[in-house]
Amino acid sequence: MKMKLTERQQEMYDGKQGEAKKFCMDKLVDFGLAVEATEMVDLVLVLCGCPIWSKNPRDPKTLEKLSAYDLGHSRLYDPIFAMKDAHVADETGCQCGNDPYFVQFDKVNEKGYPWNFEIPGKGSFKIDDEMFTDLKAGYDKLLEHGHLPWLSCNPYLNTRIPKMGEYAASSESSAACYINSVLGARTNRESPVNTVYCAYTGCLPKYGSYLDENRAAKCIVELDDEVCDNVKGMADFGALGACIAAKAENRMMAVLNLPITRMSSGATKNLISCASPGMNDPLLHLIGITPESPTLEAAFKGKMPKNPERYIVTMDDIVEMYRYLNALAPAPGPDSAKPVDIVLVGCPHATFDEVREVARLVKGKKVKEGVRLWVQTDTPTYFMAQHYGDTKSIEDAGGKIYHQTCMCMTPFRHYPKNLVIATSSFKYVKLCAGFGSEGTTWIYANPEALVNAAVTGVFKPTTRWDYWSQPREKRLASEKDKPLYDGSLPMVS
Amino acid sequence: MVASTESKIVLTGTARSKGKAAAEAMVFSHRFGWAFNHVGNEDGKILTAGWDHHGETVAGKIVVYPTVTGSTSGAISLYYKVKQSNHGPAGFICREVFPFDISGAIAAEIPAVDKLDQDPITTIKNGDMVEIDAPAVGEKATVTITRKG
Repeated sequence: MKMKLTERQQEMYDGKQGEAKKFCMDKLVDFGLAVEATEMVDLVLVLCGCPIWSKNPRDPKTLEKLSAYDLGHSRLYDPIFAMKDAHVADETGCQCGNDPYFVQFDKVNEKGYPWNFEIPGKGSFKIDDEMFTDLKAGYDKLLEHGHLPWLSCNPYLNTRIPKMGEYAASSESSAACYINSVLGARTNRESPVNTVYCAYTGCLPKYGSYLDENRAAKCIVELDDEVCDNVKGMADFGALGACIAAKAENRMMAVLNLPITRMSSGATKNLISCASPGMNDPLLHLIGITPESPTLEAAFKGKMPKNPERYIVTMDDIVEMYRYLNALAPAPGPDSAKPVDIVLVGCPHATFDEVREVARLVKGKKVKEGVRLWVQTDTPTYFMAQHYGDTKSIEDAGGKIYHQTCMCMTPFRHYPKNLVIATSSFKYVKLCAGFGSEGTTWIYANPEALVNAAVTGVFKPTTRWDYWSQPREKRLASEKDKPLYDGSLPMVS
Repeated sequence: MVASTESKIVLTGTARSKGKAAAEAMVFSHRFGWAFNHVGNEDGKILTAGWDHHGETVAGKIVVYPTVTGSTSGAISLYYKVKQSNHGPAGFICREVFPFDISGAIAAEIPAVDKLDQDPITTIKNGDMVEIDAPAVGEKATVTITRKG
């Protein structure tokens, strides 16, 4: 074997720490050969997926259901679950948990949630009983093995927060990008095959984004001052992240002129999670935020060319990104009012500031009958929102807030047809295009317009969109007659 | 089969996942991903609007693409399509096999090859018969392309 192992890693590989650890080390060493790694790193955080533990996965009826519900990872756990000594590597301080899945366990039979709902005139959906039972069996088995199955894509915000220089293995791309870019810890966009094995060994071959030489910026993306001054609202920051990734074309970039003081944890998460689908290497050097990149020179790791490639993001780019996202599925576009069925906030899981924003916007109002307002979040935030009254504001209005799950983790292809879904989630619009039930259309907008759509049942662009969506020359000309738009409202597509 | 109507090209590259496969080529001009939202887990059909081969299935094909795009769940979705629903590819070839696709191929026990001595995206055409011989991970692999007519 070409790989150098520590004493503990060698013991696991030699089978001195049990059958399960040896099984997993064999798999990781094989992977290490393929990526030409010479050593392994010890991990502090592993983010993987919770399995659906079916007893007869080959039974044709069960297989048909699994094809709709299983992301593909569940059977990887079967050999490990059959081993009596299997336990995650928490003895090293490594913590292992899971992405959201398709239900909040204690509300499986309650109606009006993504796993059990009806849209008048369009149809209904309820998750399958057998799949729920099998998911719960997998979840319970993980608990027995020492996992902390937090069922969230955001554990780095409030549950296990890696520090600068530490190593993590995140199969959730947006988490990987945040961990690298904001926390300064290191992770690849890790394979959910590997993370199963990482959980039990606490280690992974040192490759990709773990290596200094793969963390250097290759180009600069700079925000125009107009962008720095005027991006406001969760969807704006998402569109900005998508523009940054598009400009850099899958290369690692250094980002200049960010409105750092206005970037809440929700805005930062949205910017990063919208960049991550466009990047294979999950690191944005956000100058002034990224711990290893206080300066441009540091972001380029001392190898900055004399004239690095530099791209500018303008407000026109942001407006075009809104237009692109609202045409993807294709959605009705920002220029016409459109009835909505579902209004959804929280992919990746909503931060507390995002939950509060929705709660404040909807407080004292009523969601229109037949429309669903869904806020999805992580477990700590879910209980904070209960404690501080935000849940009451949302539920009194007729909306729902839930944790442990995410709409796109349900068998979304089997939802009623022709749904119109309005969301502030770039990931949903971009990644679910083509994937949803037949005829699904998407609207991408800021929370203010989303809540307005939930209450009125109709999505409408706001006056801020009217202003920014004009051709630049016309927009600038309009300022001769009236003061520069003050930007106090969030942009709404 | 008439020998005079066939041409053969033999390329060498690096095995990222070991195995042998022989099947028809399905070539993507753009970055591609195996995730369930791009390629259906139950039927292997290309779901993403605007992608090459939209609506066709990858089942039993040797899929050729530049490198990955999209979700890390491509690794497990690939494993599922090959090992569970039997609608997976026979193997795949990239300019560069991205690490999470490597792990998916190893789990699915199908060959994956990259770093060929000619660009696979322009050299291999849709419908070519392609044979992959990749005996060991990290070692030399051979790709033989047979074209009719």
